[in-house]
Amino acid sequence: MNLDLGLTESEEMLKKTALDFLRRDAPKEVIQALQETDTGYTEELWRKAVEMGWLGVIIPEQYGGMGNSLTCAGVLFEALGTGPLPGPYFSSGILGSSIILEAGTEEQKRRVLPAVTEGEQILTLALTEPGYSWEPGAVQTTATSKNGDFVLDGLKLFTIDAHAATHLIVVARMGKGADPAEGIALFLVDRNSDGVSVRRLPGFLAGRSFEVKLDSVKVPRSAMLGDKDDGWQALEQGITKSIPILCAYKVGACQAVFEMTLEYSRIRVQFGMPIGRFQRVQDMIIEMVDHLEAARWTTYEALWKLDTQRPAAESVHLAKAVTSQAYWEACTLAHRVFSGISYSKEHPVSFHTRASRSLYSYLGEPSYHRQHLARLLTAA
Amino acid sequence: MDFSLEYTEEQEEFAKEVREWLEENVPKDLVDIRDTLKMSHEQWQKRRELTRKLGEKGWLYPGYPLEYGGGGLDMDHRYVLTQELAKKGLALPPLYDMGILAAPAIMAYGTEEQKKRFLPPIFKGDVLTWQLFTEPEAGTDEANQQTKALRYVRDNDYFIVNGQKIFVGSFPSAPEQFYLLTRSDLEAPRHQNLSSFLIPANLPGITIQPLDLFPLSTLPVACGPTGANLEAVKHSVFFDDVRIHESHLIGREGQGWMVTSATLEVEHGGGAWIARNLVVEKFLAQCKSNPNVVKRLRENPQLLNSVVNIYIGAQIERLFSMRNADGKGGVYGGPQLALYSKMFGARLIADMAAVLGPYAFVDDTEWGLDEGIFEVGQRCGICLAPGGTPEALKIGISRALAIGR
Repeated sequence: MNLDLGLTESEEMLKKTALDFLRRDAPKEVIQALQETDTGYTEELWRKAVEMGWLGVIIPEQYGGMGNSLTCAGVLFEALGTGPLPGPYFSSGILGSSIILEAGTEEQKRRVLPAVTEGEQILTLALTEPGYSWEPGAVQTTATSKNGDFVLDGLKLFTIDAHAATHLIVVARMGKGADPAEGIALFLVDRNSDGVSVRRLPGFLAGRSFEVKLDSVKVPRSAMLGDKDDGWQALEQGITKSIPILCAYKVGACQAVFEMTLEYSRIRVQFGMPIGRFQRVQDMIIEMVDHLEAARWTTYEALWKLDTQRPAAESVHLAKAVTSQAYWEACTLAHRVFSGISYSKEHPVSFHTRASRSLYSYLGEPSYHRQHLARLLTAA
Repeated sequence: MDFSLEYTEEQEEFAKEVREWLEENVPKDLVDIRDTLKMSHEQWQKRRELTRKLGEKGWLYPGYPLEYGGGGLDMDHRYVLTQELAKKGLALPPLYDMGILAAPAIMAYGTEEQKKRFLPPIFKGDVLTWQLFTEPEAGTDEANQQTKALRYVRDNDYFIVNGQKIFVGSFPSAPEQFYLLTRSDLEAPRHQNLSSFLIPANLPGITIQPLDLFPLSTLPVACGPTGANLEAVKHSVFFDDVRIHESHLIGREGQGWMVTSATLEVEHGGGAWIARNLVVEKFLAQCKSNPNVVKRLRENPQLLNSVVNIYIGAQIERLFSMRNADGKGGVYGGPQLALYSKMFGARLIADMAAVLGPYAFVDDTEWGLDEGIFEVGQRCGICLAPGGTPEALKIGISRALAIGR
């Protein structure tokens, strides 16, 4: 046992830098405005994030990135989650990059990853479809070989950050085997290609969820990641490594929601005393702090396991199941403590509520991860 | 960060020493006792002997300073000790001994002379201690003590104690000493009217009566501060004109609440330990290997929800305890862990019963399930009070967050 659950000095520094950035460059008015936009970022914010190396935080130095650990990236995204800062930072810098790292050929990595680090290319994953599921069996988008190139046809739904992205990582089926994961390939598709159309889904999803139509989209052979039609495993690896960083974003978000709720319960006076004195209010804050801490430590442990090359499947499913639920519940509890004022679209709790609902399903809602846990726990 | 619980090279070396020592000193019939309440008197005596031997070695209270008879060992070594004992189904201490709660109070508020006098017998395993706090009118309102320890007018060195304590102690016989909280001043305001004593249990005028209760145990974890194999039969203790010499005071007269608070902090989760929930491990093993359970899970997928609930709860409990052990629990970490553990225990048995059916409640050599599952079933759904009710712990968290009174 060599228990050490603290951050390193450089992780502490990164955390501070990111929190300062949010305070200075993305106060609540900015975040409220960004939530309404199609891309979730401004050129100015994007450029600053690129300058600080955040888009290349986990990309190895040989591809122009910072080559940091996943834990370090988690620290960064935990800070960004306090905003909650929208924008394709995770989609591109973490998830997209991880998939390229897992699935891409050396040539593809050299071509794409430096551009991602520089913020010139923005990636996002286009996996789910109208038959919504994160399992390979639900992939119906097809890729057919034609004169050495490929043609993609299908419809992707609930694609996050599709408008901000310059490139989509499209998951498509080339054949069918006994295992639904067989015959699936990943394609890096320029979003401006002929036949690609992107439409934002109106609703409560903080403006970042899209429908992506692929209508006879021609892509060159070089767009097929890994140059093979067996990409599901690499995709799964990339997703597994990314999930805890998304979780860390939610941990930061829960922390922010908790802090503002606690503070409000100390200053809001009703019946002649701060409402925090009421045990029913205390109950809600205690429940919130349970969610927060459960989210934090399941996330950190998953990051540590991945960074130290330990078997991490259980921990990753655990972290995602716990943090998605935690963020959702923390926001609901915050509304109960704040009541009226928190329903304002200008109120930070409402930003978090939309983000917590938007991110609840992203990369699998709790029920999906609980199902996977059940399989791991009961497999004879 | 490093969450690793595997032994380092140095720890492995110590573990080897511990294993060899345990192999030599733990009698075979003390290993993995299923229900300590059913121990024979002879087995209990053997445990008593083991407690003394551990004390001699400095391993009974390994974290306390050598000068008071402790082991002077750091967290790393304590972890190895508890892990190796847990492998034999034993906790530290291996017998019910509330010295673990008295010692931190003595360390914090005892005079140097009191520390030198009180601590070595506890640390060496020469005395077992019961904690006498709870009274019929002093439950969650611990400060509402009705027992009276009043200065004896003719001989000012003595206090005369009268009153009743309840839900205290263990089995099978009286310990050597009591850690007693009592009112000692009828005039002084609340919290300033109490005193703490460490007294011999056999003073004239003390009567001990067992209560007929469900077996109590606070936590389902194996390596907790009051481990799983420390089931307790609870008692009432009556004081009838009991004369206590003032040399038995812990701290000074009137400091009782402060002294008690030091104990409550540890009792309410402040003690650092690393929990491994052996019962959950056994339950999950059933889900993979017991054909009957496997069949039930296959036929009713709803039950998988209960399996996952148990897994998730146990992971959070473990992570909270690791967090606290590494000092990262912040202001609320102690009571948060204690509260989480209790409520998880209550949910645990509900989920276990869902999956296992009535097997969860059968204590039978032929039809009962793997060791420990019944014991949890018997305890955890109901026994949430020992060491503070969940509601009392919530008060603690609220205070820590500066919103409580």
